[in-house]
Amino acid sequence: MKPRAITGVGVASAFGVGWTVFLEGMRAAKVASPVDGKVDVPGFDPTKYLGDKGLRSLDRLTKLLVVASRLALHEAGLKRDGAWTGITGEDVGIVVSNAYGSLEAIAELHRVATLEDARYINPSRFPLTVANSAAGYASIWEDIRALNVSVCDGNCGGLDALACADAMLEQRRARAILVGGVESMSEPLHAAFQRLAVAGESATLGEGAGIVALETMDGAIARSAQVLAEAVGYGTYFSPPDNDAALLHPSTEAMEQAIAGALADAEASPGDVDVVVSGVSGLRAFDEAELVAIGRALGQPWVIAPKLALGETLGAGGALGMLAAIAVLRDGAHGYSVRGTVRTQPRTALVTCLGYYGNASALVMRAHSG
Amino acid sequence: MMALAAARMAVADAGMKTDTLAGPRTAVVMGTTMGEAQLLADMQHEWILHGPTAVRRAQIPRYGSTLLPIHVARALGARGMVLTLPAACAAGNYAIGFAADLIRAGRADVVVTGAAELIQELQFSGFVRLAAMAPEKCQPFDLNRQGLLLGEGAGLLVLENEAHAVRRGAHVQAEVGGYGLSCDAYHITRPHPEAAGSIAAMRSAIERSGLSPEDVDFVNAHGTGTRHNDAAEAKVVHDVFGERRVPISSMKSMLGHCMGAASALEAIGCIFTLETGIYPPTIGFETPDPECDLNVVANEPQRGDADVVINNSLAFGGYNAVAVFAKPGVLPEPREVV
Repeated sequence: MKPRAITGVGVASAFGVGWTVFLEGMRAAKVASPVDGKVDVPGFDPTKYLGDKGLRSLDRLTKLLVVASRLALHEAGLKRDGAWTGITGEDVGIVVSNAYGSLEAIAELHRVATLEDARYINPSRFPLTVANSAAGYASIWEDIRALNVSVCDGNCGGLDALACADAMLEQRRARAILVGGVESMSEPLHAAFQRLAVAGESATLGEGAGIVALETMDGAIARSAQVLAEAVGYGTYFSPPDNDAALLHPSTEAMEQAIAGALADAEASPGDVDVVVSGVSGLRAFDEAELVAIGRALGQPWVIAPKLALGETLGAGGALGMLAAIAVLRDGAHGYSVRGTVRTQPRTALVTCLGYYGNASALVMRAHSG
Repeated sequence: MMALAAARMAVADAGMKTDTLAGPRTAVVMGTTMGEAQLLADMQHEWILHGPTAVRRAQIPRYGSTLLPIHVARALGARGMVLTLPAACAAGNYAIGFAADLIRAGRADVVVTGAAELIQELQFSGFVRLAAMAPEKCQPFDLNRQGLLLGEGAGLLVLENEAHAVRRGAHVQAEVGGYGLSCDAYHITRPHPEAAGSIAAMRSAIERSGLSPEDVDFVNAHGTGTRHNDAAEAKVVHDVFGERRVPISSMKSMLGHCMGAASALEAIGCIFTLETGIYPPTIGFETPDPECDLNVVANEPQRGDADVVINNSLAFGGYNAVAVFAKPGVLPEPREVV
């Protein structure tokens, strides 16, 4: 792919809300303190960013996404004090990954349907059941009109969203696109994660929203925008299990091929990668498959695992991985090592995501020079 | 299951051997609204009535919209991108359009794409509670229209880049032109009353195909049969086509509103129109509505020119997506084939 400019970040994560807080968390290598195997966005108060009007019909998923989107637009200088600057909503799009939609709202409606009658479900909550609802609300709140795409590929979706946005920029469908992912903590998601937990494993469920403003390099330079980092190569691969009856499948092959694809797309070689921002989260079989693939594809690079602090944030995972990569490339954050050690200030980062079903995606990012 | 069956039919219809699809150059891109919604409903009912441990552990990983393309890719041996675009009732056009972009970007040679949706209680009740449901029949563009009727199904297409199709001597059914996207940023369920976003999406789809509105022979409407939708859609057609009374019809009068699967199933209808010159009718059309002053293909199919057809769709979230399909050889370069 052509190098794309990342010109702003908006984030809500276990570190808190905002890019500065995220950078501080990464720099200090803050550790998670999970409660019941989960970490929330601490003290998340959307009214601080969105005011207190019109929030009642929104769920947590939507609020996380709208806050991160608003912050990213301002951080990128596309908006100032809530108004577009030098661009309008017609030229701005949004592409967001999310794995499970609003389980909070769906469960609420199912509760009414099960305990009372489906005829009594609250119609104002019904729109939240469609998986693109959060992105739709982000458009309404932020006046984003060029395009609005929701993508779903489990915990790989954040990186796929970037590939999707890259194609949209190439087709000149928008001048700037908010790209990233979101997932919110909910009772059913937490219950499901706990029910699937294997004894002796330490994966923590997280939540959050990570959004970057993505532009063509020419476009970013033309408007004298800051370029925080470049996205330069994407790869993805699917490899099914040999056993037809198996569903969950940590595929070393898929991860290795996705990395190879991303490097080829970036016209980079394995030796160029200074740091791998992995998706290692504490699920043993998946962590091993990912690390073996990284070893096969790249030798012995420095590997970090920010999910150890942020939790497994599923649809937001790839996006928060991108943000962690930017923190390492710009700020020299050194925490969360799981393999190898940092040698020089990293210039090239590889973000990896290993899906639960034999899918995997990878993204090469570079520090911006100039 | 519906998606898998449709995928196998699509591949068989494309005259492909399964080994043609095996490997990393084949991607699967699927649209849906809620994916395996019944599975989730069943688990949540257990959980609500009997607590979390009543949920069968093995069921949990079977839920998720992520799995739609994964099941299809497993069945076909595809090893490229597996992606779901949950774009509610415009999901089919999103998937088909993005599949074409993937091919244009050189990220795949073949994309098996489309959408699938099933009816379950929550969606049914939701539309009832939004007062969007017709009591008996769905009558798009009719003065007395009372709403939509739900349907379900799966529609899948095989998209190939032209060189790949030529190399294997494929029978090309249609070519995919450009597609247009926009977002109303207005209301989560209602279309914008002035339909500015929808107009922009339709104009964009036509322009991106290297065509002008005069080249379009037939419009497959989103045509849900709700008051807001059909009136807004009439504005779009008047704005884009001006005085010209382009034939327009809503397959939802016959198929029901298949939600995520709707625009994929209707894309297949569009290809049927290209192949046969038959415009599918809008059944139940009795009394013209001055607010929808359109050349509706009323009650009986009609024959006419069918070199270029467009497939319009709108969705919750203010999503607008419009796809253009054409007879082989009609579109200027670059083009993709089905």
